Amino acid sequence: MSEVIVITSGKGGVGKTTTTANVGTGLAQLNKKVVLIDTDIGLRNLDVVMGLENRIVYNLVDVIEGNCRLKQALIKDKKYPNLALLPSAQTRDKSSVTPEQMKKLTDELREEFDYILLDCPAGIEQGFQNAIAGADRAVVVTTPEVSAIRDADRIIGLLEANEIKQTQLIVNRLRMDMVKRGDMMTVEDVCEILAINLIGVVPDDEQIVISTNQGEPLVGSEALAGKAFANICKRIAGEEVPFLDLQKKAGVFTRLAGLFK
Amino acid sequence: MSQPVIIKSNKYGINLILDPKIPFEELLDCITDKFLESEKFFRNAHVAISFEGRALSDEQEYRIIDAITTRTSIRIVCIIDNDEIREQYTKQRVEQYLADESGNTGKFYKGTLRSGQVLECETSIIIIGDVNPGAKLISIGNIVILGALKGTAYAGASGNEDCFVVALDMNPVQIKIGNIIGRSEDKGILASIRERRKAVAQPQIATVSDGHILIEPITKNTFNNL
Repeated sequence: MSEVIVITSGKGGVGKTTTTANVGTGLAQLNKKVVLIDTDIGLRNLDVVMGLENRIVYNLVDVIEGNCRLKQALIKDKKYPNLALLPSAQTRDKSSVTPEQMKKLTDELREEFDYILLDCPAGIEQGFQNAIAGADRAVVVTTPEVSAIRDADRIIGLLEANEIKQTQLIVNRLRMDMVKRGDMMTVEDVCEILAINLIGVVPDDEQIVISTNQGEPLVGSEALAGKAFANICKRIAGEEVPFLDLQKKAGVFTRLAGLFK
Repeated sequence: MSQPVIIKSNKYGINLILDPKIPFEELLDCITDKFLESEKFFRNAHVAISFEGRALSDEQEYRIIDAITTRTSIRIVCIIDNDEIREQYTKQRVEQYLADESGNTGKFYKGTLRSGQVLECETSIIIIGDVNPGAKLISIGNIVILGALKGTAYAGASGNEDCFVVALDMNPVQIKIGNIIGRSEDKGILASIRERRKAVAQPQIATVSDGHILIEPITKNTFNNL
């Protein structure tokens, strides 16, 4: 049974695209058939994060308008043959697609893939409406900042109003050092405000910047953020995984010290 | 008054502003002249009419209407009362009734109001859930929140300052009762979250006291004073 999952946040810059890239790749590592759709028409960037920009021939709008067949527009990932990307159009805007057309598209993709991940644009306008049209469930990404949390709350309200039943939360870019000093909200604080199920906490990690710039998602790597994303993927697939202890710095020395304990 | 009769149009028809001092017979002639002057403009028009500036008996009203309809082609559909005091009294009574009624009846709403959501209610309302920052709750009557109030609540929205707001965890951005507004302290959100963590949440009630919003814990005596 395939699932359509929209990854959304309301506010921009909290890590929707990074999350889509990593969760998609992580699910592919679990041998699922996955397709990623960049619904941010006019601001295409999921392909860049995935390192697939140079392979784009057709895009989402081409498929919708019938300029090509769906299969032609799907780009196969470099590493995982069971992972595909449907890139967004760069020269068009959000009004080129309607929610009905998006729903039809996702329903068509259900026949071939286990997971269809939709990378939602920031905002609550037509781009958002398009992205959630065909979704069964939603993953809301936020950072532990009041502005991102306020927007996430609004988004959760809109998702409920659009009858998307299952909504889960990822707290991204948490800085444990700041939380310890009392300068940043804790995960508990965020959960208390938003009151939805937490599916993962991703620490702020410079490895993410490096991997994004290289166009290779770091999910599954030894980096703490990579582990966190791998766990999120398992949870999305229905497995129960305990939350990572982010207090521990996964450096070489601590791991060595751990051996002698 | 320079002119004994002034014709003004309003959204229903025409309003006659009459001189209260000159004798009625003279006034009647003036009215007839005025309408004959503007015959062309009003030709065959169907209008409602109201009088202002002078108290008229039923007979006098009838004679004015008669004069207009027999001498011109204007058709008068009805006479509208232009009695401000009565109108205000009626309005007051209707609003009073609505306010009383809203205090006696209520609705339940189950769920959390999130940022950007607005719930308006003609009666009192009981929320089973939270009201988050950025959300707004408006009631003509009272508000009871079986959860946390972290957003904006507006009770007694038709102006009734006897209404109240109750919440199990009272942490509003703003409370308005009738026409009185109270707002939260100017402190960061992180600080207020932390403060709330430390304190044990207890049910509190917001009422109007001396022209200010007063928030206090609910005790046995609270409801005796309402």
